[in-house]
Amino acid sequence: MFLQTLITGLSIGGIYALMAVGYSLVFSVLNFSNFAHGAVIMLGAYVGLALATKLSLGFGLVLAGSVAGAGIIAVLNERLAYSVLRRRKAPSLYLMISAMGCSVFLENLVYATIGSRFYAFPEFFGRQVLTLWGSSVSLLDMGAFLFALVSIFALHVFISSTRTGIAIRAGVSDMTMCSLMGVDLNRLIAIVFLLAGGFAGVAGVFLGIKYLVYPTMGWVTNKAYIAAVIGGLGSLPGALAGGLILGVVETFVSSYVSSVLRDVFSFSLLIAFLVLRPNGLMGQDTEEKV
Amino acid sequence: MTQALRVEDLHVHYGTIHAIQGVTFSVDQGEVVSIVGSNGAGKSTIMWSLTGVAERSSGTVEIFGEPLPAKPHDIVNRGVALVPERRRLFSALTVQENLIMGGYRRARDERMEADLERCFQLFPILKQRLKQRAGTLSGGEQQMLAISRALMSDPRILLLDEPSLGLAPIVVDTLMETILRIRSEGMTILLVEQNATQALEISDRGYILEVGRFLKEGPGVALAQDPEVRRAYLGG
Ligand SMILES: Nc1ncnc2c1ncn2[C@@H]1O[C@H](COP(=O)(O)OP(=O)(O)OP(=O)(O)O)[C@@H](O)[C@H]1O
Ligand SMILES: [Mg+2]
Repeated sequence: MFLQTLITGLSIGGIYALMAVGYSLVFSVLNFSNFAHGAVIMLGAYVGLALATKLSLGFGLVLAGSVAGAGIIAVLNERLAYSVLRRRKAPSLYLMISAMGCSVFLENLVYATIGSRFYAFPEFFGRQVLTLWGSSVSLLDMGAFLFALVSIFALHVFISSTRTGIAIRAGVSDMTMCSLMGVDLNRLIAIVFLLAGGFAGVAGVFLGIKYLVYPTMGWVTNKAYIAAVIGGLGSLPGALAGGLILGVVETFVSSYVSSVLRDVFSFSLLIAFLVLRPNGLMGQDTEEKV
Repeated sequence: MTQALRVEDLHVHYGTIHAIQGVTFSVDQGEVVSIVGSNGAGKSTIMWSLTGVAERSSGTVEIFGEPLPAKPHDIVNRGVALVPERRRLFSALTVQENLIMGGYRRARDERMEADLERCFQLFPILKQRLKQRAGTLSGGEQQMLAISRALMSDPRILLLDEPSLGLAPIVVDTLMETILRIRSEGMTILLVEQNATQALEISDRGYILEVGRFLKEGPGVALAQDPEVRRAYLGG
């Protein structure tokens, strides 16, 4: 029972982490809360769903397709809704409001075109279970957790050691100087949104498989915001740690305390972190020596 | 001789503030030219408009005979590098990563390796600090890194905005020597300083900027000794 709960928690936590890294990445580069991230996750799930049901593609292709689809949607979202504001040097509050607008717009667009029905993915993995030390563990949970771990680690390596990754971190540090190194900021920001959207696509498919696909499924991204704050906004290892901690705590609270209290716990955790450790577990002290 | 930089009747506004009110100047290839003036005269504004960060309201700027592009990253690709006021390093990045960013626009080849070696020759301390975060360097080391980062882009003209700011007098002396050394290797330099004597003394020519306009221009040494200039800017 314990191990099973732990793995379930880790798999939910892994999905939170997948959502949190994209949100956190955009936050650290553009300094605003991209509340449209949940809508991109939802659209990614619909893209995956269409590929799985209409084209009967296998899991790998469905995942690849929704990564590409959500990535492109995120880039378009930035081009159409944020870049105008960026160019006018609008305060980040305006960007956040624009993001909220996008989120409502995209959800309603889905309501208007696809409808409010709940859809399920075809069963890619059946109900296969692994037996580990006497407890049965869902293969899907195990897979979601491992996939989240590996893909976030890959993103971390990309950000910390490639030239583009260094440029992204330089942009986080000082956008203007980054452009004076010869970096085309519009391209750099497009890459950031492509990455964030790609991860949103993965999260969308896992969420859709684990639960269902519907227009407001992106609201669960609230949990990703909490995970990002717990881990430290802007830190990728932090987003991973924050997501996993939140997922495990929630699952244990639901199964050992009460499932009604789950979200009360999550938001209490958020408030505790904001008060006691606003930089999160791994948030960097950006203090400079002048 | 080809002019490295030619600026004609440049105007820059910040909202309703008319910060640069029609300045005309030029820098020949291989020259060191300085612009001196007191706080708020508009020195940094000139630098930011030459790098495309501050928008020009009017006027023409030519870089090596061609019109200056609009976007900062295109300007860098024409061989303009800025060491900005207060250095503006990527403080969360390591020294090495700052240098990599400096060379971002270039192919990583032997010439880039050679430029890196040249930076280490100019500032040996940087080689020992490669893995240290730039924000934790001392002020003097930060200035060395800011200059090296700019040199790594293989510029044809180097813009230096108050490189001596916040440095001890003895460090400023070394800095001025370094600027001359970089110049002796053929670099064209536009230097902006508030602390003017030393800047003018190492410059071929200088311009005195006062609230958005040039008051005087002439050979660097002559300006440094001009009684009127001395009274107004050099403390007697
Ligand atoms: N971003 C800005 N927005 C509004 N006004 C600005 C901005 N930057 C500079 N200014 C104004 O433009 C004028 C020129 O400023 P600038 O920074 O170019 O002066 P400076 O000669 O470099 O001064 P200092 O020696 O103090 O660095 C000042 O009056 C300043 O207040
Ligand atoms: Mg200045």
